[in-house]
Amino acid sequence: MMQTPIRILLVDDESAIRRALRPPLTELGFQVVDVSRGEEALQMLRAGGFDVVLLDVNMPGIGGIETLRRIRALAPRLPVLMLTVRDAEEEKVEALELGADDYVTKPFSMRELIARIRTAVRRVRAPARAEDAPIVIGELRLDPVKRKVTRRDQPVHLTRKEFDILLCLMSHAGRVITYARLLTAVWGADCREEVEYLRTFVRQLRKKIEDDPANPVYLLTDVYVGYRFADPQTFIEEIAEDMPPPDVNEEMSN
Amino acid sequence: MLDNRLNLSFIPSSYESANAVMLLAFVLVALLIIFILAHARSNAREAASWRAQVLDLHEFTRRTLEMNLRLEPGPQLADLVHDIFALEAVAVFDAELHQVYPVGHWKADPQELAQNVYYFGTSDDDPKTGLGRRVVRLGTVPIGSLVVRGNTSPLTNNAIASLIAIAFDRYRAFANESRMETERRTEQLRSTVLDSLAHAYKTPLTAIRAASTGLGAMGSLSAAQAELVALIDEQTGLLADLTTRLLTTARLDAGEVTVHAAPVDVAPLIEEVVTSLGDRLASMKVELDIPEERVVVECDRQMLVMLLTQYIDNACKYSIFGSTITIRAEKVHAEIVFSVRSFGPVIPINDRERIFDRYYRSTTRASRASGTGIGLSVAKRVALIHGGSVWVTSDETEGTTFFAAIPVTARRRVS
Repeated sequence: MMQTPIRILLVDDESAIRRALRPPLTELGFQVVDVSRGEEALQMLRAGGFDVVLLDVNMPGIGGIETLRRIRALAPRLPVLMLTVRDAEEEKVEALELGADDYVTKPFSMRELIARIRTAVRRVRAPARAEDAPIVIGELRLDPVKRKVTRRDQPVHLTRKEFDILLCLMSHAGRVITYARLLTAVWGADCREEVEYLRTFVRQLRKKIEDDPANPVYLLTDVYVGYRFADPQTFIEEIAEDMPPPDVNEEMSN
Repeated sequence: MLDNRLNLSFIPSSYESANAVMLLAFVLVALLIIFILAHARSNAREAASWRAQVLDLHEFTRRTLEMNLRLEPGPQLADLVHDIFALEAVAVFDAELHQVYPVGHWKADPQELAQNVYYFGTSDDDPKTGLGRRVVRLGTVPIGSLVVRGNTSPLTNNAIASLIAIAFDRYRAFANESRMETERRTEQLRSTVLDSLAHAYKTPLTAIRAASTGLGAMGSLSAAQAELVALIDEQTGLLADLTTRLLTTARLDAGEVTVHAAPVDVAPLIEEVVTSLGDRLASMKVELDIPEERVVVECDRQMLVMLLTQYIDNACKYSIFGSTITIRAEKVHAEIVFSVRSFGPVIPINDRERIFDRYYRSTTRASRASGTGIGLSVAKRVALIHGGSVWVTSDETEGTTFFAAIPVTARRRVS
């Protein structure tokens, strides 16, 4: 099966970062166009033809956040990944609330960046999942209709709220869900600030679905930002351990 | 923080407080004049001598107000007293600097003379020798002494001693103020430099990491090449961590950090920190001691993680291999007191306060370990930002315990 290569628009004012990202991404089969300003990015996007945008938050000119806002007006479904720094959690939350798909924190590893790009693109390209279809990630299986969860085929007993949290996270697996969004989804908008409350539930939930709740592999924390259910792809790649990631080969042979 | 003394301080830039001193000094002299005149009215010849002394006192007051507050006050005061009152000899003792400043011709040792006055609290006048001795007091607190030989009166000596006390106090207040100002400026400069450095590092670090991990991701590297690339990656990671820590401290220092205060359950928080330290704690026994079932504190979770990580990491670094580290959290009045106890070299008394200062590394060899000398200052800042405090106790039998007290309820802070 041949897939069209992923076309990336890279927006960063630092030429060193553009120069570092371009060769490996190209070598791995992506098509990369890079620009240094939000204004330029918007111009390129009007012409169309991109699958994903990598957008630096701190740039001169209109900056990353404003660029994101304008991209969303232009292309509501186009995946946008923000390139941010640590200690800028509020920026991350703001970007996510403005519709960014995800973010990576500088200095990131190429593997992490590529995984995030693939997840974001896959989400858009994949046919819409039927809302009541069961979700299987790793050894966990969640049935939204029967409201049942099994782990290694053994039933996991969850309270109502625990199930709702898990459903929200698993149906967006691979993607960070901000505290506010998760709280609103499960408890309603009045509770969007009750982060510690949510933490208590997540701790209980981890005890039920993780082998080692202190080192979770499914239900992950994005410090200050929210929670993220592990990308299903990571479990598939683990099985194929020593083999190179299959889609990499495929794209390199293009 | 300003103490009472500083509120009365004599900062030259502030006209208001300078006027207050001026007023105080003149009121003092005026009262003395009234007192002297009342006593001297009967005797015309005595009155002339009194008048001369009053004029001298007036001159002395004026000159002390013009004193250079950047220089030690003792020598200036001794000179002024000697000149203005035309005395044979003068000695001023400054107890804080522990210095005697003699002027004129002394037969006996002025050092001993002046210090004895201070230590034995003798204030008297000997008409035979012409020797006047005064303890210099600020309020009731002795802060020095004055010994004069020559033609003065007991009342004049009292007035001189009072004016010297005021001059000493002005000098201290001024010195204190400039020291605090200098410290504040230095700290500010440090923070700015650190912040811009850390920011400047981010981009090259990101480029290096992207390049090295990019090489890895592209594959087709030989084993040796892959190993070197992994090394670059690993070291970049270390540098990135250090940069982030520097940035955090710089921001904490500059008070630019946003406190995300929320109720935090203490027990799971401590467990989380212990887990995250994983390998480093492997060779130690760790004991958790949380007497109450559920302890909740309103704080910035991530900052508290930083504080506890620092304490526990510190305990690992300095404790005896295989010994026990005890981590405790308990509610004491309106605070949660966290403590981390370990057994290792005792921290000398002199180091206990300064150990929380940035860049301070103990001068004692035994208590040295690898580190940047930044960590404990972060712990202190975190506690202070939360309206709490840090301290340490250390001795052979009880071991070394680092404490941090954090108020249970976050105060509304304006930063």
